[in-house]
Amino acid sequence: MRLPQFTYHSPDTLEGVLALLDEHRDNAGVLAGGTDLLVRMKHRLAVPKVLVSLKHLDTLSYIKETSEMVSIGAKTPIIDVIRSNRVQQQAPALGQACERIGAVSIQHFRGTIGGNILQDNRCIHYNQSQFHRTGRQPCHKDGGKICYAREEADRCNSTCQSDGAAALMALGAQLNLCSSKGERQVSLDAFYTTDGIHPFDMQPDELLTRIDIPIVPGAVSVYQRLSFRSAIDYPIVCAGVRLVPDPDDAGCIKSARIVVGAMGRSPLFLAKVSQSLAGKRFDDIAAVAQAGKDAMNTAAAFAAHNAGAALPYRQAMVETMVIRALELAAAQASMKIAR
Amino acid sequence: MTDYSIIGKRMPRVDSRAKVMGKARYTADLKLPGMLVGKILRSPHAHAKIVNIDTSKALALPGVKAVVTGADTEGVKWGVFAYTRDQQFIQTEKVRYIGDEVAGVAAVDEETALAALDLIHVEYEVLPAVFDPMTAMTTDAEPIHEEFPNNINIHVNIDTGSVDENFKKAYYIREDTFTAPEESYFHGEPYAVAARFDADDCLEIWMPNGGPHMKSKPLSNAFKIPLHKVKVRKITIGGAFGGRSEICPADYICALLAKKTGCPVKIVFTREENTIATRQGHAMITTHKTGVDKEGRVLARETTCYMDGGAYSSTGPIATSVPFLSMEQAYRMESVRYNGYRIYTNKPIRGMIRVHGRGFACGLDTQLDMIAEHLGIDPVEMRLRNSRQPGEFTSTGSQVWSCAMDETIKKAAAAANWHEKFGKLPPFHGIGIGTNSVQTGFPMGIRGGSQSFIKFNEDGEATVMSGVVDNGQGNENMLVQIAAEELGLLPEDIHLVSADTETTSSDPGSYSQVSTFVGGQAVKNAAANCRKKLFDVAAKILKTDPDKLTAKNRMIFVTDHPEKSVSIKKTVRVALLNFTSVNAEGGYWPRVDMKREWVSNPYGQMCEAFSFGTTIIEVKVDPDTGQVTVLNAVACQDVGKALNPLVLEGQFEGSVAMGGQGGMLTEYHDWREGRCLNPTMLEYKVPLACDMPEITGIIVESVDPRGPYGAKEAGMSIAMSAAQAYAGAVSNAIGVYMDSFPLTPDKIVAAIREKRQAVK
Repeated sequence: MRLPQFTYHSPDTLEGVLALLDEHRDNAGVLAGGTDLLVRMKHRLAVPKVLVSLKHLDTLSYIKETSEMVSIGAKTPIIDVIRSNRVQQQAPALGQACERIGAVSIQHFRGTIGGNILQDNRCIHYNQSQFHRTGRQPCHKDGGKICYAREEADRCNSTCQSDGAAALMALGAQLNLCSSKGERQVSLDAFYTTDGIHPFDMQPDELLTRIDIPIVPGAVSVYQRLSFRSAIDYPIVCAGVRLVPDPDDAGCIKSARIVVGAMGRSPLFLAKVSQSLAGKRFDDIAAVAQAGKDAMNTAAAFAAHNAGAALPYRQAMVETMVIRALELAAAQASMKIAR
Repeated sequence: MTDYSIIGKRMPRVDSRAKVMGKARYTADLKLPGMLVGKILRSPHAHAKIVNIDTSKALALPGVKAVVTGADTEGVKWGVFAYTRDQQFIQTEKVRYIGDEVAGVAAVDEETALAALDLIHVEYEVLPAVFDPMTAMTTDAEPIHEEFPNNINIHVNIDTGSVDENFKKAYYIREDTFTAPEESYFHGEPYAVAARFDADDCLEIWMPNGGPHMKSKPLSNAFKIPLHKVKVRKITIGGAFGGRSEICPADYICALLAKKTGCPVKIVFTREENTIATRQGHAMITTHKTGVDKEGRVLARETTCYMDGGAYSSTGPIATSVPFLSMEQAYRMESVRYNGYRIYTNKPIRGMIRVHGRGFACGLDTQLDMIAEHLGIDPVEMRLRNSRQPGEFTSTGSQVWSCAMDETIKKAAAAANWHEKFGKLPPFHGIGIGTNSVQTGFPMGIRGGSQSFIKFNEDGEATVMSGVVDNGQGNENMLVQIAAEELGLLPEDIHLVSADTETTSSDPGSYSQVSTFVGGQAVKNAAANCRKKLFDVAAKILKTDPDKLTAKNRMIFVTDHPEKSVSIKKTVRVALLNFTSVNAEGGYWPRVDMKREWVSNPYGQMCEAFSFGTTIIEVKVDPDTGQVTVLNAVACQDVGKALNPLVLEGQFEGSVAMGGQGGMLTEYHDWREGRCLNPTMLEYKVPLACDMPEITGIIVESVDPRGPYGAKEAGMSIAMSAAQAYAGAVSNAIGVYMDSFPLTPDKIVAAIREKRQAVK
């Protein structure tokens, strides 16, 4: 398969990149590792006239820590995130998520954390060759008016299969977006539209430059995902959780964040279910089990046949993933207390 | 035991260095002067009439050199048998699956060729389509092929008699139905073909193939040119698994474009084309009714199998028979009745995969386990009570000369600690056994035999000419080992000219597991004849009788006085100086019943040898997610004689990966109205190396009286037995016999939950 024709730029500076994005806007594609974009271009799902490569922007590759947050440059290779002590200490869920992205070779040579978060939503009916998409009506995301993932749906039911995004949302991360007009910060919770066609609330001239993960004293976090293979496989369902202990009673949960991924158009932060754990003890098995059930019941409504596994199975597995993540997080918390 | 110097030794394959270093060149790597890029326009509809094709805009596009449609083909059709010729190389009247060939384009580059495809306007009248065999048999809609009402393509009936009487004698009878969907090969190399016509109108063509001579004859028929004018050339091949044996419409289209343009043309498939437009394995719905005596011995069996054949016949009659044949070889049955139906549907064409018809997916072993449990018999013992014994005849009358099936069962059970584990494992741990038998050869008529020529060069090295092709299984190494052993040379002294129809004699190809048995035996005979000529010369030099000589390590010596010797190089040079030929030929033709036919007469000696394999798998199932972790794999096969244990172990490992780990756990297709949703490696879950368990390979040697050095088929009996071992292990772990393959996590979770509900 061949790439469509495009003009290629690789500016030396952030300003240069931003100027090109401003100039070409919707006609521009940002090339970091290319593991998502180039495949979509080969399928003609994306046909940017201009590719703006970030290959000279080494300034966007770093992991820093202050007392308030861990900051990760958007172009940081996945492998650096996996190996980072800071991430392992302050945001273990992100490290666990990154370990499951692509394969070892992709983690080393191409994949970036920013690219993982900004990978386009996927659907098994949409991410197909041009040949596959002929002889049938185009789907919503492909410019048509049909959804093959869910019968009679009036809008796109693609799903966000980013491992990194689900983990980062659980960690309460913020994104830093830059354009030639300035920069802005947005929490990951607020970053998503509910539109499967354009899943991100992001302007075409904006570039993701940094991810900030708040450091919450005593917090524990876990990422769990399900797929068929150990590598080169997107999650069919995943869960990220962060539990913050009560400073006055370390055995007690002060607040929780439960996020379910690969089910909806964005990672789903389940506010009510998360809320239900506040004030519960870490070893409250019944509360964890109930949270798992509630998570499943809430997330299942978003599910559609958009990934390669039976839908009822994916829905049922939400419960298992959430419970496992919570149990592992509780175990982390008790180890912290023991220390 | 005979003391061989090269046979039976662990020798790295002669072709592996080039492959691992990336130096081997495959068809897609070929660059011929002036070569054009070919592309195929395929049907986007599962079933439709072609009303009109307008190629004018495509032809007008600068850079387009030719466009071909069905109108250029003179209506030639392909089918393995005269009575199954149902597939046009380019469709003229209607298309029958998504991917059917509609037109071909040759252009100066890929972009232009792809643009030209978009400019071909095809007007279709969409017809109702059927996607499952049971509906296909009962639908009122237009049949997929006019001549086949109810879409029944093939019916194979085998009846050995006394079935009903024996059911009456049975102590216990049960009937179970097993389903298995289609599967794909996922060869390392997507299909590709390059072709050109030379100044003498000879067609030169390169493609991955399961036998060059199996490609040249249909091409000669299609182009109506003499056989010698079709020169199928040798090229490195990245896997076949049965999917490269038949002629591919792309071969014809590529050659037709080359003919029309006068330029070389190359077509390289996308991964998606390789999945949907080569072949797939049949989907099957199989019902076994089995009656046993008190000891679990099978008295009567009735098997009915409905096979989803897809849009065309392919190797239909063979595929429809093989699920039955594999089990009749492996297990004794006093009486049996088999009805196999191959049904057309509007899905990709199903052909051979590993063997034809996927006997491992018909659930026979699972049912044996069910019966064993009912009777309180251990599954290993159950198999030993029913296993094939040497000297016996199969139900359809093939004599089995060599057979060490019992030994494979016992050795595998011992290595897997079966008796310490079965019934004693912790919850959600399980162990399962699968056994199977595979034919070494089929009656193949005029191309059933192989011939080889060997010539000596004046430096004492030898060139071996053989039609045998290497798809990746190590056939070239096999030929080299045999020739070196027979001639007394070292492997590096043997040079192969192989798999080229111009320079090699007819050969059955790497088909029906016959390369070593037939092609290898032909080289062995040729080499023996060559050695005889050498010995005649050497005897004069050494002043002794030829029959007192031995050749080894580049030397010919007097067997009882090894100090009396002459080098092979010198012997060859003396022969040439004395006007004596030391070149020779040899051939081998398997002694099979040529009257045996798949549909009209499925009785008689089918092949000369059968091999037997046992796989035992131990698993741990996650009861919450249904995901399976394989803890241990033991693969044990009676191969007759292991010519190269190193290669054989690789075959065992690949067989467990393809037959079991992938075939039974993760690999299956997802469809929407005949459109394959997972044609690529991302969504079709071929197991990764890092997901494979450690595999213990055990070689059993029964030394077949007819095989070269006693060898017969090697590796396939593992591919065929692994699936049922996986199924048995998972069933044992969860306490539910699974009747729907593959065993995906959703099915496993559902089975566990259903069982819990039932207990409540």
